[in-house]
Amino acid sequence: MTAVIFFVVLALYVIIGGFVARLVKNKDDFYVMGERGSTVLIVGTLAATYLSAVTLLGIAGQSYAEGPLVIAALGSFGAWIGTLLAVIYIGRKMKALGCKTMPDFFEKRFKNKSVSIISLIIMIIGLLGYGVIQLIGAGLVLSEVTGISFPFMIVLFTIALLVFCALGGMYGVVVTDTIMLFTMLAISCIIAPMIIGQAGFADMKALADTIPFYWSIEGAEQRPLGWSISQFLVWILFFACTPALVSRVFPAKNDFVILKAAVIGVFLAPFMQVIVFLAAGGMRVLEPGIENTDNVMVIGFLNHVPATLGGIGLAGLMASIMSTASTLFVLTGFALARDLYENVYGKKMSDEKGLLAGRYAQIIVAIIVCAIAIARPSAIYWISIYAGAIFAVGWLPTVVGGLEWKRMNSKAAVGSMLIGTTSFVVIDELARREFITLPVHIDSLMISFAAGVISLIVIGLLTKPNQYEMDYFKEMKQTSLSTKTINDILKQENGAAKLKKEYKQTMVISISFIGVAAVVWGYFLMMLG
Amino acid sequence: MNMDVFILFFNAFMTTVLSSAVVIWILRKQYLPVIRQLEAEEEEAEDSSMESDRKKEASK
Repeated sequence: MTAVIFFVVLALYVIIGGFVARLVKNKDDFYVMGERGSTVLIVGTLAATYLSAVTLLGIAGQSYAEGPLVIAALGSFGAWIGTLLAVIYIGRKMKALGCKTMPDFFEKRFKNKSVSIISLIIMIIGLLGYGVIQLIGAGLVLSEVTGISFPFMIVLFTIALLVFCALGGMYGVVVTDTIMLFTMLAISCIIAPMIIGQAGFADMKALADTIPFYWSIEGAEQRPLGWSISQFLVWILFFACTPALVSRVFPAKNDFVILKAAVIGVFLAPFMQVIVFLAAGGMRVLEPGIENTDNVMVIGFLNHVPATLGGIGLAGLMASIMSTASTLFVLTGFALARDLYENVYGKKMSDEKGLLAGRYAQIIVAIIVCAIAIARPSAIYWISIYAGAIFAVGWLPTVVGGLEWKRMNSKAAVGSMLIGTTSFVVIDELARREFITLPVHIDSLMISFAAGVISLIVIGLLTKPNQYEMDYFKEMKQTSLSTKTINDILKQENGAAKLKKEYKQTMVISISFIGVAAVVWGYFLMMLG
Repeated sequence: MNMDVFILFFNAFMTTVLSSAVVIWILRKQYLPVIRQLEAEEEEAEDSSMESDRKKEASK
């Protein structure tokens, strides 16, 4: 039964991905879907990319074992704030500058080969390392559940990702992400509430009587509060600069789409996560003895909801893997084809050849991903420790400095990127080998982020920006996405009326979602508070 | 009331409040002045067309 669901869902995603590929006519379609992304599509790709298998497997398992508040109350809160910063601050600013990928920003801001190459190396290591390890982890769980052999499953996933990424590019990824979001929402809106309903709020609250601290931020393991606060800060840094989220705004039609997507997407992030974590707590009532806690939600899908809904739950789990993986891998392909081959090596190509190069890069990435995932070399586990967070230490200081500081220059960027990333790996390795002991409320990422910021400021003060960097900074400060959006809309027929309509619609969505959030979270507080 | 549970749901709620507040601030700061200016121009154009209509009526 589970294997049938797996094949049907995968086939469905591939057919949709293949159909969407027909819409890709040129390079602009391939990289930013011709900047035609509507609010539904941008919300879809943002929320689907945000919700990865980490939520449905790892953190759900931790919520089951230690209590639903351990990660959700502060760690996840940091992720939600980081997502808001990624979309509304960094994403909007980069889109205003005409960036189609994040490395575009480094290229435009510094016009310096060292900066471009270092930023690309960070990007490829970060995206591949983080993406492959998620694919391996989730693939192992699905392989166990469906009985399909792990290598065969990875090959099938790779073929599906090839259809989304190589044929459809950003178009394929955004549209399939949006469709996948609906299966993920089925988990949060129907399946998880059914599990909570079966467990009952009273019995869930009573878990604290048998498992001390189950309904506390410290959790059953009684983690120090300092650890939770450090997780909050780390997740803000992690999410604020991750290309997977920032790049979701590049295909958007205009600024209003981004603003609406920010409100709805940032509402959906806690909505999708917290309800899953509460359901994991409900599973502790229904099945207290699960040893492999990563499987807790899968067991919930299979044993505690009707078979059809259980199948949709598994499809949602697959969607969470594929939507995040497709975004990570499509961006890696973009980095190879557009940022490295076209920009750094200055290969000027026609639209047709550029599109072909983009597709070849996706095929190369797919083959590499497939080989690493099946071989599972021990090095990939080591890389994955640092891959996800590398953008926080390697990119974030340079991005914010580049956007806001007049003295920012290529030397400060190179210094900050190198010191941030190397100190991150060195400090963490020393701590893991017990040469040094870090205080419980200090994460190695926080120390290396501070090192990156300090080195950026010191080098920036000791050196001067060149003429190009000063001119671009001035030009950048006069560029805003709102001005561009206003001008574009006013050029249309009945432009003034359309502008007013968009303004009102965005305002209504912003206000009404505060009401929706009050009702949803107020209800859960009444039941569990 | 379990304060830790309250913190979880308060944070989830405040995330939406924060994102909505930022968006409303952007709308009012970057879009509202332009919309007001467009409305003023529309009113001005309407007034001047009514004025010219009145003059035409009077000349008849």
